[in-house]
Amino acid sequence: MAISTDDRVREVSGTAGGSLLSQPRWLQSNSASRTAALLVLGLVLAFLSVYPLSMLLYGSLHSTPPGMAGTFNLDGYQDVLTRQSLVTLANTIGISLAKTVPSVVLAVLLAWILARTDTPFRGTLEVLVTLPFFIPPILTAMAWGMLGNPQVGLLNQLYQWITGSSDSPINVYSYGGVVWHMMQYSVPFLFLLIVDAFRAMDPGLEEAARMCGASRWRTFRTVTLQLMLPALTSGAILSFIRGIENFESPLFFGTPAGIHVITTEIYDSINQRSPPQYQYATAASFVIMALMFLIVLLQWRLLRGRSFVAVSGKGYSPGVIKLGRWRWVTFGFCVLFFVATVLLPVGQLLIGSFFKFFGFYEWEMLTLDHYREVFGSSEFWRGFGNTMLLGLTGATLTMVLGGAVAYVSVRTKWRGRALIDAMAWLPWMMPGIVLGVGFLWGFALLPHAIPIYGTIWALLLAYLSLGTPLSVRVMSSAYAQLSYDLEECSRVHGASWLQTMWRIMLALAWPSFAVGWVLVFFGIMRELSASVLLYSVGSEVLSVVLLKLWANGNAEQVSVIGLLMMLLVVLFRWLQLKMLKRVVR
Amino acid sequence: MSNVVLEKVSRNFGDFAAVSNVDLRVNEGEFVTLLGPSGCGKTTTLRMVAGLEQNSGGRISIGNDIVSDAARGIFVPSERRRLGMVFQSYAIWPHMTVFENVAYPLRVRRRPNAEIQQAVAKTLRLVEMEGFAQRPAPALSGGQQQRVAIARALVFEPKVLLLDEPLSNLDTKLRLQMGDEFRAIQKRLGMTTLYVTHDQSEAMSLSDRVVVMDRGRIQQIGAPEEIYRFPANRTVAAFFGTPNLLDAQVTGCSRINGRRVRLEVVGRGWRGPCEAANEVQPGQSVTVMVRPEDARIASANVTNAEQGLRWFGRVTHTTFRGATRSIIVQTETGEFNVDASAINNYAIGDDVTVVVPRQVAWAVPNPNELKS
Repeated sequence: MAISTDDRVREVSGTAGGSLLSQPRWLQSNSASRTAALLVLGLVLAFLSVYPLSMLLYGSLHSTPPGMAGTFNLDGYQDVLTRQSLVTLANTIGISLAKTVPSVVLAVLLAWILARTDTPFRGTLEVLVTLPFFIPPILTAMAWGMLGNPQVGLLNQLYQWITGSSDSPINVYSYGGVVWHMMQYSVPFLFLLIVDAFRAMDPGLEEAARMCGASRWRTFRTVTLQLMLPALTSGAILSFIRGIENFESPLFFGTPAGIHVITTEIYDSINQRSPPQYQYATAASFVIMALMFLIVLLQWRLLRGRSFVAVSGKGYSPGVIKLGRWRWVTFGFCVLFFVATVLLPVGQLLIGSFFKFFGFYEWEMLTLDHYREVFGSSEFWRGFGNTMLLGLTGATLTMVLGGAVAYVSVRTKWRGRALIDAMAWLPWMMPGIVLGVGFLWGFALLPHAIPIYGTIWALLLAYLSLGTPLSVRVMSSAYAQLSYDLEECSRVHGASWLQTMWRIMLALAWPSFAVGWVLVFFGIMRELSASVLLYSVGSEVLSVVLLKLWANGNAEQVSVIGLLMMLLVVLFRWLQLKMLKRVVR
Repeated sequence: MSNVVLEKVSRNFGDFAAVSNVDLRVNEGEFVTLLGPSGCGKTTTLRMVAGLEQNSGGRISIGNDIVSDAARGIFVPSERRRLGMVFQSYAIWPHMTVFENVAYPLRVRRRPNAEIQQAVAKTLRLVEMEGFAQRPAPALSGGQQQRVAIARALVFEPKVLLLDEPLSNLDTKLRLQMGDEFRAIQKRLGMTTLYVTHDQSEAMSLSDRVVVMDRGRIQQIGAPEEIYRFPANRTVAAFFGTPNLLDAQVTGCSRINGRRVRLEVVGRGWRGPCEAANEVQPGQSVTVMVRPEDARIASANVTNAEQGLRWFGRVTHTTFRGATRSIIVQTETGEFNVDASAINNYAIGDDVTVVVPRQVAWAVPNPNELKS
């Protein structure tokens, strides 16, 4: 009570009128510090997204590799406009379409089985069915490379052993192989996107249709599916985009068979050709960015005005369909999916790691040598250390950055927040390999006083950029769920802005923070396409180590390392599920 | 405890004036309610007092301190206004226990732990929640959450208590009970209170004074009974219940005392005396308000109602409502609502007389007349 008016009354600058008044007063903390914070955030994001993107444009017009004097011309784009490139483009789109359509069907089926039927052990099945999404694709790619090898693949051996013939029906080094490997990721990915829409649907909407005289099938067709359509469409488009960005599947199964897509084409022209064709690769990267942009525009147009009416966030218990004896069929279907996508590849890795030579499975060939070699190799430990270091710091920094961006764009009405949001979202359109090319140019053109290229920081920055869109999404939805009252109430009762942030907002959002952290960590652990362009000796990560071993034909050590990574995946997924349970409460 | 003074307070969102020129003085220890339909600016007014919204014009003082003055660019942020507030959603922080929720205002003020323990225990006792201190906040019912929110708002003995529709999320029975309990606590502590609601009966039963707002402006300030019985204009009259509002012309005017005048009015098919607050020139038109419960139904041929007003008509509709029976009588001026005792049983088609004493027929100026 004894405080004088002077230190309780704060003068507000005379210009604070007009438009600034259209926001809750307490958000306009301190005008100067707010501008500074926005500026820093904007600069960081600009460096992470706008800079590599503009470097792509620069590099696509530049006649020599990064860091060398050259002239500017359009040769890169001319090379892109050849027949060969058009075939590559057609391949890219065709393969992505070919995997999206069956993936959507399978994902809808799985989502319906696990969310709307009385199939036994649904909870466990859901965890198992979504697991492939979290396994680094390079692992399953290598495992399938062994399983489906036309000469010595385990599946072909099994087939020959059973039928007695000498045919090898399965060859993963084909279009089919590329599509099948992509599907192992896109099915659980789509499933995760749409299952909540299935689950959160108000059963009243369906019951109303039944009361109006519609049959079960007609209700499904005219109500359930229609309500799911926005979620399905956006999921399918996302999956299609991911298909175009995909690097591992075409690299492992397409390139050996002479099937080229745009990502492997970019990789090959930088890493496999002599001299490297930087200008062509960069021009191709820029073209793929433009393509992505068009697809995203299309998605916006398609989904405009359609809302997820059915998803209310309230905990409904949707009508569960009693399947009777059929529930064991649906159960078997889910198990089969798990076996094909997880058990087979992991089993192959396990077998491969204990036999002397891949492909020759005899009792006397059993050995632990590969484990000894891997654990004795400094290269493995360096890769492991780098992956862990990058994973831990990268995930933490990404989530902090995402949390800040999300706060600005969701909780404030600051001017410039739309720009911040857009910049953070930009890398979402960039395939890892394209971002890698952009950073390659970006780092080379930095002043010599900032030597990033060739260090581990180059990878860290690329991971930050790739992970930010995800972290912003996770944190945005976390903030959006917190009512403004919770924040305002704290301010009225005497807490400053900082105290409120720390004690209320962060305390409430931290479970989402942790869940997002694990997701970003997974992303870093599996990242290959940007890493393979940006690593240098000393800064290899595990996925790069694996790729090198594989290229040298060392499938046995690959299996050992793959198994260790699998262990990490299962451990982190388990941690994440535990945390998710606490979020849901 | 302090008073709260609002002087010419306004709030514009672009061209839209959410609140315009609000003048209000809440005295120490007084319970004042801001009442009005949704969108009338009552919540915005409360939020401006709380400092969650900045007034674009005018001045707000709490106690002896000016907390906001648009003209001089003064603005004290919320956390330094020493207020307690109960939000419509209660805003109970779900990651804290009941104890920690209530202790929060003291913790951010860095009070010693012993004091916190004592103050929280005392306040929880006040709202009868002492047994729930260690409960996690999400495990509370609506009524319990509301008690915790009140405890949190009271715990550091704020200068003023602000409540934003605190009872609207409770069911009817609990709403009445919590309202009474809250009023008792407020009286006991003598806390200056500003309360926002859209519920007229809540406003009537809790407040010392009611401020009726509409379209961002104050329509009337007064004790609940005054506002109910002697509304200042048609808007206020129509806001409470379903009164009969009858157009009439003034033929005579005489002052009864300092606060009332007697008017002689004539309408379509009826004439007689009524009362009003101010003199009205003969020939001007007014709206006469008669509350359904103040009207009485008599048989068709009543003649000795010299002191009041009479309408002849026919019963067209009756509804049994438990305590009362609502009767609609078709008269020459239109339908007339009467709430009669449920024992009365007039049949549809009966010819009746509606009788209204002069004292309960209240005339308010017509908005059209005010303009000219």
